[in-house]
Amino acid sequence: MLLQLVVSGPALGSMYGLVALGYHITWVTSRTMNFSQGHAVMAGAVVAYAAYVGLGWPLPAALLLMLVALALFGMLVERVAVRPFFLAGSPAWLLSTIALGIIAENVAMLSFGKDARAFPSALTRKPILLGGAGFYPQELLIPIVGLALMALVQVLYHRTRWGKQWKAVAWNAEAAGLMGINVPRAVMAAYALSALLAGVAGVLLAPILNVAPTMGTIIGLKAFAVAIIGGLTSAPGIIVAGLGYGLIESFVAGYVSTGAREIVGFALVILVLVMRPGGLGGAPATRRV
Amino acid sequence: MRRLACLGLALLALAALTVSVGAQSKEPIKIGLAAAVSGGSAASGEAIKRGIQIAMDEVNAKGGLLGGRKLEMVIRDDEGNPAKGVTIARELVEREKATVVFGGLHTTVALAQVPVWAELKTPYMGAWAAGTNITRNGQTPNFVFRVSANDDYVDKYLARYAVDVMRKGKPGLLLENTAWGQSNETGLGKWLGDKKVKPVGIEKFNWNDPDMSPQLLRLKGAGADHVILVANAPEGAQVVKSRAKIGWEVPMISHWGISGGRFAELTGDLSDGVVFVQTYSFFGKQNERGQALLKALREKYNVKGPEDVIAPVGTANAYDGMHLVALAIEQAGSTEGAKVRDALESLKSEYKGLIKTYKQPFTAEQHDALTDADYVMVVWKHGKIVPVDVK
Repeated sequence: MLLQLVVSGPALGSMYGLVALGYHITWVTSRTMNFSQGHAVMAGAVVAYAAYVGLGWPLPAALLLMLVALALFGMLVERVAVRPFFLAGSPAWLLSTIALGIIAENVAMLSFGKDARAFPSALTRKPILLGGAGFYPQELLIPIVGLALMALVQVLYHRTRWGKQWKAVAWNAEAAGLMGINVPRAVMAAYALSALLAGVAGVLLAPILNVAPTMGTIIGLKAFAVAIIGGLTSAPGIIVAGLGYGLIESFVAGYVSTGAREIVGFALVILVLVMRPGGLGGAPATRRV
Repeated sequence: MRRLACLGLALLALAALTVSVGAQSKEPIKIGLAAAVSGGSAASGEAIKRGIQIAMDEVNAKGGLLGGRKLEMVIRDDEGNPAKGVTIARELVEREKATVVFGGLHTTVALAQVPVWAELKTPYMGAWAAGTNITRNGQTPNFVFRVSANDDYVDKYLARYAVDVMRKGKPGLLLENTAWGQSNETGLGKWLGDKKVKPVGIEKFNWNDPDMSPQLLRLKGAGADHVILVANAPEGAQVVKSRAKIGWEVPMISHWGISGGRFAELTGDLSDGVVFVQTYSFFGKQNERGQALLKALREKYNVKGPEDVIAPVGTANAYDGMHLVALAIEQAGSTEGAKVRDALESLKSEYKGLIKTYKQPFTAEQHDALTDADYVMVVWKHGKIVPVDVK
């Protein structure tokens, strides 16, 4: 039992972390985020399914298409649902990103159908049995890919020009603009990356969760909880919080009951907000005057 | 003044027209269908529609009812929503003048409609939803009839299969966390108790739960030697996958929820050996009605064989239900709801149907035409539904 839970926990947890990192990236650059990250998770799975299963493309081509489509989706979100409000300093992006997500979900329902479909993967065909526990190779692959991607994002952020631009925009958008940084483009790139990460999470989870228009909603919500617990401004905090959240969920489901899982998880969010409003990894909240 | 005369003339002409239309062709008898025909359960609505239509075609081909009146179907979508179900129930009766209304998959919708049928004095024929209290609703006179499964009988059937056929004594229950799961928890507790068997564990899951291994591990830990499952296709698929994942080769018996949707596609060979209950199976040797029905399905809906029949129980139940309704209308000699209801409760002629031969299928106390004696056990094998012999 213990081994089973220790393996299943990080698989979902690392995906919460990956999606939460998407909230983080856009938040630190523009103090806005895409509240429909969960729908980007779903979009990733649906696009990959359509190309791989529907059109019979080879898997790498389907993945490439998914990456391009999700980057475009992120840019669309930024252009349509965020930029008009970001420039006006209005918090309406909060609602408009949710609206866009609901539109995406319904488009998926119309084009893809409401039923769940199986995403074939060689890594979920045969479980590995080990001392009373069993898991799919896919479940081992997920945290590895997830952690690798999170590390890659850190490198991108701290070591590249794009990362520097994001930092500059985050520090002071106006000054960054005056220094010749194309602020809207930098923000747009952050959104593209954010949606991309969610899409990758969707494809990785698809063989386990099945593909359905509603598959991302809960993941998006839990990823947000993880982002809050870890600290919206702290990538390492989010990564740790993601894995931790996955483990806690798994242990509560295993030793208490599946009904208690959500109660404990979200109670934790409130607890962290009270104890450390900036999240575990974040600095204590400072008020901007 | 002249305008008034014109208007009068026009009205007169209209009246004459109506009369002459009525005289030329006999007014059709309208049968309503209130079911989910869109969304995730659309397949169930489509299956019921096909069953009704084919039975209607057979009746109409023999000259219709009540001296030549043809049957005609009017369909409204309940969207799986109880409030919408009540609205369309009224619409079908009050605006469309339906004599009898058929119902769809959702127990919640059917329960919400129960008081409406009594109020409108219109018989309801359930073709899918299995909730025990739909027919056993405590109303007299009861306008709700059903040719489908009833959770209470299903639970009795499952309990008997587990204890008497499989010779197992330690059931673990795995139920969805909804009213439907609740209704079966009660029923299974009752009928297993009847066999002096107590579940070693009762586990629940929510819709869209990704992983059922914790629940299964707990049942395994409690020493369950078989699992009784109450789930619809998506969650049922996750259960079967999780079972394979933890490598627990436990026999699994299921309510019929896993027959709809894309269960076979979602699970592949993992579902092999999962047995579940149906009211009818189009596999195996068919009686005359079965052969005729498959032929009609092929000609009308391009169904190539039994494996192509979508949501088979919907079509089978609705087909027999429609024929019973036709007999009742003929016996009542009227399309008046109350009279048709009375006729249904006291059907004189025997009907050699698809699922069985119906001899007085309904009485004042019994509004379920099918009971556990009529169910069949089937099993998933390589993504196909195959019958199991039950003694």
